[in-house]
Amino acid sequence: MLEIKDLHVELAEEDKAILKGVDLKIEAGKVHAIMGPNGSGKSTLAYVLSGRPGYEVKQGTATLDGTDLLELEPEERAAAGLFQAFQYPVEIPGVGNMTFLRTAVNAQRKARGQEELSAAEFLKEVRAKAKDLEIDAEMLKRPVNVGFSGGEKKRNEILQMAMLEPRMCMLDETDSGLDVDAMKLVATGVNALRDEGRAFMVITHYQRLLDHIKPDVVHIMADGRIVKTGGPELALEVEHNGYADILAEVA
Amino acid sequence: MTALDHSQVKEGVDQDTVDAVREVGSTYKHGWSTDIEMEYAPKGLTHDIVRLISEKNEEPEWMTEWRLGAYDRWLKMVEPDWAMVDYPKIDFQDQYYYARPKSMMVKPKSLDEVDPKLLATYEKLGIPLREQAILAGVEGAEGAPAEGRKVAVDAVFDSVSLGTTFQDDLKKAGVIFCSISDAIRDYPDLVKKYLGTVVPVSDNYYATLNSAVFSDGSFVYVPPGVRCPMELSTYFRINAENTGQFERTLIIADKGSYVSYLEGCTAPKRDEAQLHAAVVEIIVEEDAEVKYSTVQNWYPGDEDGKGGIYNFVTKRADCRGDRSKVMWTQVETGAAVTWKYPSCILRGDDSQGEFYSIAITNNWQQADTGTKMIHLGKNTKSRIVSKGISAGQAQNTYRGLVSMHPKAKNARNFTQCDSLLIGSKCGAHAIPYIEAKNNSARVEHEATTSKVDENQLFYCRSRGMDEEEAVALVVNGFCKDVLQALPMEFAMEAQQLVAISLEGSVG
Amino acid sequence: MALPKIKETATETRLAALSLPEGGWSEPARRAALARVQSSGLPDRRDEYWKFTRPDVLVGPDAPHAKALETDEGELFDSFDRLKIVFVDGVFDAQASDDLKLEGVSIERLAEIADQDIHWARDLYGTLEERAQTPVARPLAALNTAFAPDGVVIRVTGKPSKPISVVYHHVAEDSDPMLHHVIRVESGAEATILENGPAGARFSKCMEIDIADGGKLHHIRSQGRDHERSAVTHIFARLGAESSFKSFTMTVNGHLTRNEAVVELTGDDAIVHIAGACVGDGDFLHDDTIFITHDALNCESRQVFKKVLRNGAVGVFQGKILVKEGAQKTDGYQLSQALMLDGDSQFLAKPELEIYADDVACSHGCTSGEIDETALFYLRSRGVPEDRAADLLTLAFLAEAVDEIEDQAIAEDIVSRLENWLSRRR
Repeated sequence: MLEIKDLHVELAEEDKAILKGVDLKIEAGKVHAIMGPNGSGKSTLAYVLSGRPGYEVKQGTATLDGTDLLELEPEERAAAGLFQAFQYPVEIPGVGNMTFLRTAVNAQRKARGQEELSAAEFLKEVRAKAKDLEIDAEMLKRPVNVGFSGGEKKRNEILQMAMLEPRMCMLDETDSGLDVDAMKLVATGVNALRDEGRAFMVITHYQRLLDHIKPDVVHIMADGRIVKTGGPELALEVEHNGYADILAEVA
Repeated sequence: MTALDHSQVKEGVDQDTVDAVREVGSTYKHGWSTDIEMEYAPKGLTHDIVRLISEKNEEPEWMTEWRLGAYDRWLKMVEPDWAMVDYPKIDFQDQYYYARPKSMMVKPKSLDEVDPKLLATYEKLGIPLREQAILAGVEGAEGAPAEGRKVAVDAVFDSVSLGTTFQDDLKKAGVIFCSISDAIRDYPDLVKKYLGTVVPVSDNYYATLNSAVFSDGSFVYVPPGVRCPMELSTYFRINAENTGQFERTLIIADKGSYVSYLEGCTAPKRDEAQLHAAVVEIIVEEDAEVKYSTVQNWYPGDEDGKGGIYNFVTKRADCRGDRSKVMWTQVETGAAVTWKYPSCILRGDDSQGEFYSIAITNNWQQADTGTKMIHLGKNTKSRIVSKGISAGQAQNTYRGLVSMHPKAKNARNFTQCDSLLIGSKCGAHAIPYIEAKNNSARVEHEATTSKVDENQLFYCRSRGMDEEEAVALVVNGFCKDVLQALPMEFAMEAQQLVAISLEGSVG
Repeated sequence: MALPKIKETATETRLAALSLPEGGWSEPARRAALARVQSSGLPDRRDEYWKFTRPDVLVGPDAPHAKALETDEGELFDSFDRLKIVFVDGVFDAQASDDLKLEGVSIERLAEIADQDIHWARDLYGTLEERAQTPVARPLAALNTAFAPDGVVIRVTGKPSKPISVVYHHVAEDSDPMLHHVIRVESGAEATILENGPAGARFSKCMEIDIADGGKLHHIRSQGRDHERSAVTHIFARLGAESSFKSFTMTVNGHLTRNEAVVELTGDDAIVHIAGACVGDGDFLHDDTIFITHDALNCESRQVFKKVLRNGAVGVFQGKILVKEGAQKTDGYQLSQALMLDGDSQFLAKPELEIYADDVACSHGCTSGEIDETALFYLRSRGVPEDRAADLLTLAFLAEAVDEIEDQAIAEDIVSRLENWLSRRR
């Protein structure tokens, strides 16, 4: 589904190389975890894929089912089925959460040639999905992410994911700042979306999220490259020994 | 505002905003014109033209004299140049000051007798001139009680009022709502008592010009203790070429009364700029409340700055009585040049003034707008919320005055004035004057200028919205505080306008 | 355009009473400045730029008499190691001054170098003042350029070990001094300039400051406590890339003070902070008029002005941030606040933003009000006497401006002066 080849990326303003040749292939139905120390380029990888401005791709390709992602505008990537749950979701004062969701859902449906949802259909769906994530009506009315707690923001991201039904989901440190209960809630939301046609890239520092969202493959990223790939046991190794051993081993 | 649940309507409205961005091909959708036979006064301005306008309106002698007095004063005045607007010198002799459809030469007895072509004009603009009709497109209106949704309309076409709806219902409540020309004939005592008392004849260049040549406009009187049973509104349409529109509105809210008044304006696309100089006077007596909302959508000129309306407007409310209240809300998206400062004189103790404004300028538009809050009475309160959005090569200026007089003990003002810039060729400016002349008065003024937040835009786009949708959404969010102050009937139109006005501003 | 008759007469009357120093390198600049005065005329109250402050006292041919204040309060900055330059009623006092020698800086007097055919200051004298005449004419500054007989001319080439301190004494009741300082901070150099004292019955001072790339200048002044004196001062500063200029002014008392600062940020990444704390009682008008132009990338400007007013005192603030087209990544901040201690005082403000670049974050805040009753009550409920509580809250109000002073010892000295002022007025 997602295929990344030899991806080199710099920060546009600073000429600083962040990704130095990333190769990654994620098949439909699979969950890949990406772990690694701070500054290894994990979040950059997700941002580059979703098209955030400020990065310059120097070399390499990234395709989603054969479509060149790097050529597309952010909204076209979203319409193609790519979704990033952000580590720091942006606050948008004045724009109701519900309005935002409905605008996004219908924009994507339209881009895919589907009928737009009526107000009633939309409301029904959003309420059902919000309930699973323990998002109350009040939170849906408030402006997007404004005054949300860390946990509320993350749940809100998962709600967007559930509503938009992307095929390729990237979760960027979705567990950071969450207590165990909040994390379980998020994990349940993610697991509910797991199916044969959908793939996940879960970026995390810690093993603990992976106890709840079981990965098929684990990658270790360091200094802008994927340096080691293995099964779920690799995450446990990191948990017990930290990154030092692995980094020393591949160095 | 009424206790209606707005959230649902607003949800729908935002979607409509987005739809409007997609569907509307050309930026200005009211740019068509009505082909109709007109009767003009000769071009230019003289004593005779002033007399002629007075005569056409069948005015009494005192009114003619009043106009001539204003004209003489105007001749001695100089066009002001302090505003941050730049436009070619206006040739006041190259304008028509009076234009009316030939079919209106004999005033129709009711709207049913008005030329169908004229009625069609308003229908096309979405303005209901039939009483059973509901304002076009107000979602959820079907469910609302019929009484709550009625809007009485005065339709002004070039220099004349075509007629006013719901006259009977209003009369039953004791409310007078008619064209100002009718009021001068039918209620001379009221007009004499109040006209020119809030905006004196010699107030400023454009107001003085208006006093000399105004041709029509609306008159409202709400008697003591009466809550006006429906929204009142006036729709101004400039149709004729090279014709200035000079309307005059006078609203009197007597003791303990309440009225909400809406004003809308549109004009066809013309290559030549056209002049519009209006005066609005509001008198608010003890315990009375007036809400005045404007959606100003005059033709803004084309992408190269050709044509458009020059909009020089003087609006002022005098809160004469204790505990009186006035609220100005304006959405200024049209006009090539806007010069407009709806103001409040807070004379009565505990009186309140509010000003909510969205001014959007795109392409070559220029707006210099804001308010004056003059605190004279004790415990008076004012609130100013101004949102300026500038795109293209446009210039957008907030200009305001908050004045706390020595006797305005415990007066309060809060001002929030935010500007948003879209593109590197436009300008956004804030020129507030603050005069605090007593220590118990508290003034708080905040202003910010920034560009549309890139992170917010990216967030919206990463969820699938295209750039224009994302900008429209973020800008509507930026304007939320003001949009919420609008009556529901206007909120939707305003949100659509926000999006449409910004078309072509990105990319 | 011809001047209104009344303005023309006032200007001619004033000019007739002055004589232009002749000869030397500065004469052409002086003549050009005189022409500027003649074309714009001296200000009067019909001028928009003098909307809140009547300039009559500053414009008339003679200085209104003003008594010098006798005080036992020690001189400000007395406890600091500094190079002292003393002017008495505008006249240089060699006895009271230190030797004008200091490593890393050259210090000269305008009157002494005027006869030279050429001097580095020639390219600067009147230049920044002239640049600042648009979009708003500043005729009192041009008048100063034309007629000021003396001043200090400072070129900072290194990092002098101590501050250069200019002290202005006021003795004669009718003194009317004009001083014009020129300061050039070379690339990478850094210095501190201190100024204090009332200077004269009526004082006019210009300071032209040119800071090269990477240069730094700190400026702290106090305008003296004489009640009857009036003053108009101008700071004209031009900042190169990565340079910084930080200026703080304390004003207590004075009949009329108009402090203008005109700063141009012409190099990328430059920083300017201008701050002021003023306290006024009775016959007191204090006017801060600031104009900051951003004309380069990624510059920062910050204005913080606090005014404490009582007993009919008037505070005026006119501040403008102009961001020119292309001056992206500008960070502009402006705060002006008045605390009115009783019912007769006034605060008049016009905080402006004029912005022609989109990638900017500019803001201004402006407030006026009295002491917060809740805070006052809270302090009293904890046993603080009302007077003392009011002083504490007043000092807290001023603190945000005083905090702009980087040197902690100087800041403490300033705070103690403000405390004294408050306690004298219980």
